[in-house]
Amino acid sequence: MEVTDALAVQGENPGLEAFLSKLQPLLDGGRLDNLVDLASLLSDLVDLLDAAMVEKLSVQFEQATALSWNLGNAIRQATAQTRQDSEPPGLYGLLALLREADTRRGCALVLRTLNALGRQL
Amino acid sequence: MAKHILIVGGGVGGTMLANQLVGKLYPEILRDQVRITLLSNSPDHYYKPAFMYVAFDLFFQEELKRPERTLLRPEIDFQVQEVTRFDFTGQTVHTRSGRRMGYDFLVVATGCVPAPERIEGLAQGGDHFYQYEPARQLARRLASIEKGRIFITVTFPQTPNVPHQCGIAPVETTLMLDDYLRRRGVRDKVEIIYTYPTTAQLLRNCLFLQRPTGEILPGLFAQKNIRFQRGFTLGKVDPDQRIAYSEEGDAQPYDILMATPPIRAVDAVLESGVSQAANQEGWLPTNHETLQVYGLEGLYVIGDTVDLPVSKAGGACHNQAPVIADNIAGEIRLGKTVAVYDGKVQAAAQMGLNAGMPLTYDYRHDVLPTPPTKLGGLLRNGFNRGLYWAVARGML
Repeated sequence: MEVTDALAVQGENPGLEAFLSKLQPLLDGGRLDNLVDLASLLSDLVDLLDAAMVEKLSVQFEQATALSWNLGNAIRQATAQTRQDSEPPGLYGLLALLREADTRRGCALVLRTLNALGRQL
Repeated sequence: MAKHILIVGGGVGGTMLANQLVGKLYPEILRDQVRITLLSNSPDHYYKPAFMYVAFDLFFQEELKRPERTLLRPEIDFQVQEVTRFDFTGQTVHTRSGRRMGYDFLVVATGCVPAPERIEGLAQGGDHFYQYEPARQLARRLASIEKGRIFITVTFPQTPNVPHQCGIAPVETTLMLDDYLRRRGVRDKVEIIYTYPTTAQLLRNCLFLQRPTGEILPGLFAQKNIRFQRGFTLGKVDPDQRIAYSEEGDAQPYDILMATPPIRAVDAVLESGVSQAANQEGWLPTNHETLQVYGLEGLYVIGDTVDLPVSKAGGACHNQAPVIADNIAGEIRLGKTVAVYDGKVQAAAQMGLNAGMPLTYDYRHDVLPTPPTKLGGLLRNGFNRGLYWAVARGML
């Protein structure tokens, strides 16, 4: 059925008429099919989503955001502290940073991270 | 001397607000002009809406908690301390370990506690899903019932126009229960009766505390053969005979009593003497726009401890936190509050085991219910399993 046939019912629904006339160029160029197929694909993706899939996606989301947030926070705080030094630390100054318990915890974390990376090779 | 912002309570309100304050006041934090401390009585943060799922064996305890420290920006001084006394005029808090902490700004984020002992027989005879162990007890009962009556009651605080925790939860759990019992194959032998008290905030003799949602419930319940009764204000429970008595003079037998219990503020808030609430409930007198506590300097309240008519739920904290963050920043930088809370609450209600219904309301508009959908249910599931933690961190 031609869209213009539907438009022949004049004055029944001006909003619908405006919408249909906007679609007309897509129809003429054979491009409306793509949009319908896209809608169909989205519908298929929604059908594929179930509680288990959503759980997997959500857990991945949380892990990715928590990691980037964690790293970003750490770098932001470290940047703020390092900017305050008028001179960069010397070699002994760098070693002195290791006196802080949290810094040593962070070093242990990095070493253990390397360990886990090695295990995955 | 750095201005000290102290947040007491490590639930979703306190956690998201602390993170937002760090972001908002970062320049002052960098210059040591502001410092932020969060005190919680627990090292762990619990996603409390998951307890409702625990009652249906749908959530493990390990999945619904995270260490609070991992949810807080490093600039926040987080300490596991239980506050035992608030000295609001002296702007000091006292902790169980004997410490005293002064503050320039305090945010009370201590939430509320279920108080089933306030109804005779309820603690022994009833079940609820608002804490982990009670939800586990309810789960054991729901998993084994083969026939009988599950009787659902809802108790509101006696302070006028104050809701119970999470207004939609009784409807959610009733619909989840229906799906759950069908799945177990025993629904035809187990009767479900949903009741609502005579007074529900500003409404009377209704099935829900807002009219539009209340109006769709009869149709929804009838479709699923869920019986319902208005005007049942739980007054007393006989745990041996298993009978629930109403203030209106009714007596109803039950095999399982799924009761939203009375609630109150935590002891330290109750004992501060600032509350104007009825019945020793302890809600703090809250400016509904700025979220300051009336009559006290530098004092704000977020979440369940307010005496406002909006839901005691994370969906309210979510919109209160940015207002409080802006107001504290406004007071520090401009000497005045700058933001106003419009009462907005949003959530995705779990309307049955798989269907969900996003909802939103505020001081001037009620929830307009829409048909629950599979996608709505998946959104809720996604929130439970991942999005929530981004919200707690102040990211969403």
